[in-house]
Amino acid sequence: MASGAASASSSERIDRNELSLARLYVMRAIYLLIGLGEGSQVAPELFVHEPTARGVIASILAGMCLLDLLGVRYPRQMLPLLLFEFAWKYIWFFAFGLPQWLSGQHPPTFAEDFFNIGFGVAIMPFVIPWVYVWRNYIIAPGDRWR
Amino acid sequence: MAVSGRNPTFWTAGDQGVSLGRLYVIRAAALLGIWGLFPTVETLAHHTATDRGVHKALISGLWVMSIFALRYPLKMVPILLFEITWKLMWLFAFGLPEWRSGVGSPQLSGDLWSVGAFPIVMLIVIPWGYVWRRYVKQPGERWR
Repeated sequence: MASGAASASSSERIDRNELSLARLYVMRAIYLLIGLGEGSQVAPELFVHEPTARGVIASILAGMCLLDLLGVRYPRQMLPLLLFEFAWKYIWFFAFGLPQWLSGQHPPTFAEDFFNIGFGVAIMPFVIPWVYVWRNYIIAPGDRWR
Repeated sequence: MAVSGRNPTFWTAGDQGVSLGRLYVIRAAALLGIWGLFPTVETLAHHTATDRGVHKALISGLWVMSIFALRYPLKMVPILLFEITWKLMWLFAFGLPEWRSGVGSPQLSGDLWSVGAFPIVMLIVIPWGYVWRRYVKQPGERWR
């Protein structure tokens, strides 16, 4: 690729930050799936719930679902939300799901949680553009400090 | 950074229309998150065998994002928007109604501070001009 760099026109130049159209669509599909699919499940809980419900989990999930809809328009810019999705689901899986599954001791909500969160654990690695994340969220210089 | 002859001040809009001061405000919020959420992260290692864990995992996920926000405050703006959104949802769907009715969850008073009061902080922290330019006015990503 480097040999023809001088002669290559700027339009042919591969942008290191480019995401393929297919990747953008995969990301959009997930934003939409979370936003509408999961959103339709958690949003009703905001309106109908026990008077003494704590509501933190429902609010976090509903907030995420609402903002994921913005990811349909800006899949690249909303990537931190997918990273958050990846992070909390993997944390749950390795700190709670897997140990509880192996030990056989689990809360009553386990089967439902294991299915819902396990689904994310299974697909998120294929949705997130890791090379892009590596370049932009790990090795890219941080924002200025002075 | 200081390219022109002018001497940019701490609060002058710099790269991407965001001042250095604003970057520090976001970083301060990120530090607050790293510090404030850590006690929950610690519980990942010690919890009861039948703990549901969803709440702890969500908070721990936010903790990880706070670390990213320290280095990349602008790229992590979606997390700030997410923070203000879910906390406002909580405040209006759970916090305020329960506070007004006098019947609430056992954690209500603590949550009113740690969750309910936070949208005010986020209102100050979020670079709204940047959000408007990058997340509303900017054309969406290509479709074909």
